[in-house]
Amino acid sequence: MNQTSLKKTVAISLLSAIAVLIQAIAFPLPIFPAFLQMDFSDIPALIGGILLGPAAGVLIEALKNFLHYLILGSLTGVPVGEFSNFIAGSLFIIAGTWFYKKKKNASSLIYGLIFATIFVSVIMTFANYFIIFPSYALFLGFTTDQAIAMSQSINHKIHSLFTLVVFAVLPFNLLKGMVLTIITVPIYSKLKSRLKTFVPAEK
Amino acid sequence: MFNIIIGQYVPGQSIIHRLDPRVKLISIFIFVIIVFLANNWITYGLVVLFSIIGILLSKVPFRFIYRGLRAIIIIIIFTFILNVLFTKQGDLLISIGWIHIYKGGLIGGLFISIRLLAIIVITTLLTLTTTPIDITDGIEILLGPLKKIKLPIHEFALMMSISLRFIPTLLEETEKIMKAQSARGSDFASGSVKQRIKAIIPLLVPLFVSAFKRAEELAMAMEARGYRGDEGRTRLRVLKWTGKDTALIIIMLMLTVALVVLRT
Repeated sequence: MNQTSLKKTVAISLLSAIAVLIQAIAFPLPIFPAFLQMDFSDIPALIGGILLGPAAGVLIEALKNFLHYLILGSLTGVPVGEFSNFIAGSLFIIAGTWFYKKKKNASSLIYGLIFATIFVSVIMTFANYFIIFPSYALFLGFTTDQAIAMSQSINHKIHSLFTLVVFAVLPFNLLKGMVLTIITVPIYSKLKSRLKTFVPAEK
Repeated sequence: MFNIIIGQYVPGQSIIHRLDPRVKLISIFIFVIIVFLANNWITYGLVVLFSIIGILLSKVPFRFIYRGLRAIIIIIIFTFILNVLFTKQGDLLISIGWIHIYKGGLIGGLFISIRLLAIIVITTLLTLTTTPIDITDGIEILLGPLKKIKLPIHEFALMMSISLRFIPTLLEETEKIMKAQSARGSDFASGSVKQRIKAIIPLLVPLFVSAFKRAEELAMAMEARGYRGDEGRTRLRVLKWTGKDTALIIIMLMLTVALVVLRT
């Protein structure tokens, strides 16, 4: 194990620790169902993905969700939420850094994150419809009809699983992606100049 | 804001504390799966009994277990209400205005609450009676066979132990930064959502900078002490499998059989 890779390993661990801390203070937004939680725990992973490469970002997402499950347990006992968080976060990082790595400046990062927001929102809408929502229903023991009926009382446009996903999950992911972009970009530009000594020379 | 229970390990010498972490991990894995087999009063009774015996044997004061449950209790209540209100099975018990409570819904809600509680109590018990280091050691050994297909299990376990070790340190650091920024007039606890989001940036930047600095120092310290990866590494603590570990595995198998036989 050479020195930069050990340094990278340790940095990934510490970023994951920050992510766990941030995830622990996640709060659900009032207008969305309880399981859609707004948390900024993707920020450390995103910063890791930008500075240390997308693989590091995905690893931070994995560690974060693993540790979160280990420390705080899961809503359903079975880590459905952790798993979907991992998928959404990883996709976001991969999509975001894919644009960023061509130019490596703030504007390419902004384009990357906007693209990632749209991309992840669309993918997660389908994932929720086909996989995540049905498994929540299974583990929490309610049927999708019940959840739809409940959501209907909040937003009367919702009358089927598809409309639930489109009116609740899609705007949620768009909003989350926007907030992530708004926070990450200034952090990135402040960090980049300070961490020149840390970030190993590009290979 | 930070009422998370981190480093919730409660030192002790009970039989649960002394079990091999590998056995505890396997048992919890089995438990989380077989809980879903329970579907009537007898099987749920067995699950509850198992959880209570676990708590009693661990000799962990109940308030620690309650602390672990506190965060999740709202979700359990929410699930319970959801089930009670929207399941229309069995006899109609109460009907006030638009609220109709059916017997099937009440029992269903109760069962699901018990299931969630049991899973959480048992997983909390693991973290209450096992040090995080032991847990990661256990995971590393259990996943060991995956090294054969070139998965970096050792590195993953190393990262997990470092993370776990630094969560309290970084929490302390976060609080320190928050105080420092509050002293400069920054406000984290009130204001609109937009203001709160903005307040996060001056909190995170110093946190990231210090984390990267710490990473550099720690990597240097590890190399100075001769760390060079998994190859030929020796351990300070070696896990030992004893009679009581075999006993727990047998109990888990018996519980599984009981649940399969008694479920309807």
